Amino acid sequence: MENILEVKDLKVSFHTYAGEVQAVRGVSFDLKKGEVLAIVGESGCGKSVTSQTIMRLIPSPPSIIKEGSILFDKKIDLVQLTLKEMESIRGSEIGMIFQDPMTSLNPTMTIGKQITEGLVRHQGLSKEKAQKEAIELLSLVGIPRPETRIKQYPHEFSGGMRQRVMIAISLACRPKLLIADEPTTALDVTIQAQIIDLLKDLQEKIGSSIIIITHNLGVVADIAQRVVVMYAGKIVEQGTVDDIFYRAQHPYTWGLLHSILRLDDDEKSELVPIEGMPPDLLAPPQGCAFAARCPHAMNICLNEDPQTQIIQDEHSMACWLMDKRMRTEIR
Amino acid sequence: MYRFILRRFCYMLITFWMIVTVTFVLMHNLPGDPFANSEKLSTQQRALLAKEYGLDQPISVQYKDYLINIAKGDLGVSFAYPTRRVTEIIKQSFPASAELGIESIIFSVLIGLILGITAALKHNKSWDYGAMFIAIVGVSIPSFVLGPILQYLVGVKWGILPAALWDGPANRVLPALTLSFMTIAITARMMRTSMLDVLHSDYIKTARSKGLSQFSIILKHTLRNAILPIVTVLGPITVNVITGTLVVEQIFAIPGLGKYFVQAVYSNDYTLIMGLTIFYSLLLIVVMFLTDIAYGFIDPRIRLAKGRN
Repeated sequence: MENILEVKDLKVSFHTYAGEVQAVRGVSFDLKKGEVLAIVGESGCGKSVTSQTIMRLIPSPPSIIKEGSILFDKKIDLVQLTLKEMESIRGSEIGMIFQDPMTSLNPTMTIGKQITEGLVRHQGLSKEKAQKEAIELLSLVGIPRPETRIKQYPHEFSGGMRQRVMIAISLACRPKLLIADEPTTALDVTIQAQIIDLLKDLQEKIGSSIIIITHNLGVVADIAQRVVVMYAGKIVEQGTVDDIFYRAQHPYTWGLLHSILRLDDDEKSELVPIEGMPPDLLAPPQGCAFAARCPHAMNICLNEDPQTQIIQDEHSMACWLMDKRMRTEIR
Repeated sequence: MYRFILRRFCYMLITFWMIVTVTFVLMHNLPGDPFANSEKLSTQQRALLAKEYGLDQPISVQYKDYLINIAKGDLGVSFAYPTRRVTEIIKQSFPASAELGIESIIFSVLIGLILGITAALKHNKSWDYGAMFIAIVGVSIPSFVLGPILQYLVGVKWGILPAALWDGPANRVLPALTLSFMTIAITARMMRTSMLDVLHSDYIKTARSKGLSQFSIILKHTLRNAILPIVTVLGPITVNVITGTLVVEQIFAIPGLGKYFVQAVYSNDYTLIMGLTIFYSLLLIVVMFLTDIAYGFIDPRIRLAKGRN
């Protein structure tokens, strides 16, 4: 399968009064056409910064892309584009859904206008045609009575319905790539499942590739084919859903998996939180960023950052436990 | 929307009635009476005059008559200028005041908005600092200081514009500027804050993620939302300007209503004070009413919330 997106060694920093915060410290991953990739990790691990950098939505200053490339559709490096050139890609080639549907829609503009805006801008549709298209989009995302709803304002919609509208907006121009930045975090659980089902359904219909950012592993298992696990601005492990859920190799991934509830747990098993806090990215540690919290940390972990190595096919991770020399010693 | 407007209109009437009543009660509790200064009057003459103006009636009757007269649009005859009706005085001198006021409000809103928007778009750059400096100067210098300074510098020393009086369009500039300086400052500061707020909001990020250009984001998504707080303060701004006319008209010798108001207070001219107070209040209430309606048009959330209950 062809890659729609290739992120290579991406480094993003923020300049603050305290100094340079290295939010993303060398991230590389690929996304295949029609694939759903999940990026997981706790708050502040750089997953949102990564996704918004792909859209070039992070204001600069204070942020700068220090290094790396984001190759979109095999030909365009999004990092090199001017903001003007980027405008023609946003919305038409790449769509985005945000976390909080309550604040992501303009309160003084009708839903219809907010959907048609992108269509008029990118596809040059007339107002009537765009209107028709918007009605179609609303019924596609499962909003009843789209003809009346289109004339209403955001405050007349519930949270789940607003997120459906957001999805309609982001998919208006049938983008090749859809980035969903924690699309279910602000919704209650029953609505979460509906939104994920909707995304799955639309993905099949439209065929967009999707990057879904979340810290909900349940969502990952439900929708994604591949998973990237991020910690402190780096990718610690990536692989297929099965690789991550059944053959995880990195202690941080183990920690994540142990800290969620499972249906097949017996009554006695307890949730195990990951103790401690992620490191300060103003001054990232010299060795492995997870070493301070890792129950398996060794001397080398504190001094040297482990390299990413391939375990099998698409499964790769960065941990000294997987070093060849380590393996022979353990055995 | 119609129900919303109707409700507002009822509130407006109630407010107006309350103002009339309070003014009436306050006036009749003031020490002295309109004829106390005319020492030559005998007690008999005074009683005649009181009868003539209805001052010998019980307060409740006077109040009732007054309400009826107001409903008819009659504010009575001035005590100090017995030949002139209050409505006549208003009709004659209000146009100058109104013109000054309207010009000042236009100045305030236009210059204020431009300053505020520039400051927000050039946030933390020299444009921003410049605009905010003007705003701070505007808030801290009162009009009775600014007025004479402008008269002296622009009017006398440089001789560019007339320093006082009310003859042609050139006469309008200095008083209107003096009157609007404070409100320019308020508008500019509010617009800047509110623009910055909106520019950092999530829906602007959504708009950018649709690939809209910076220009259309500002035009279609930012301004309308950012202007809401300005519409709210338009009422108070008008109050500012209207009360400001009293001072500025004196400084620039403008034949407006302000002069009469001050004189009426000195001479205990009941009907004229009450008439002018009521007239000014009515003006303010109408402005507030219009502001409310404008708000409803700009922000759909208000329209609906108010229409429901």
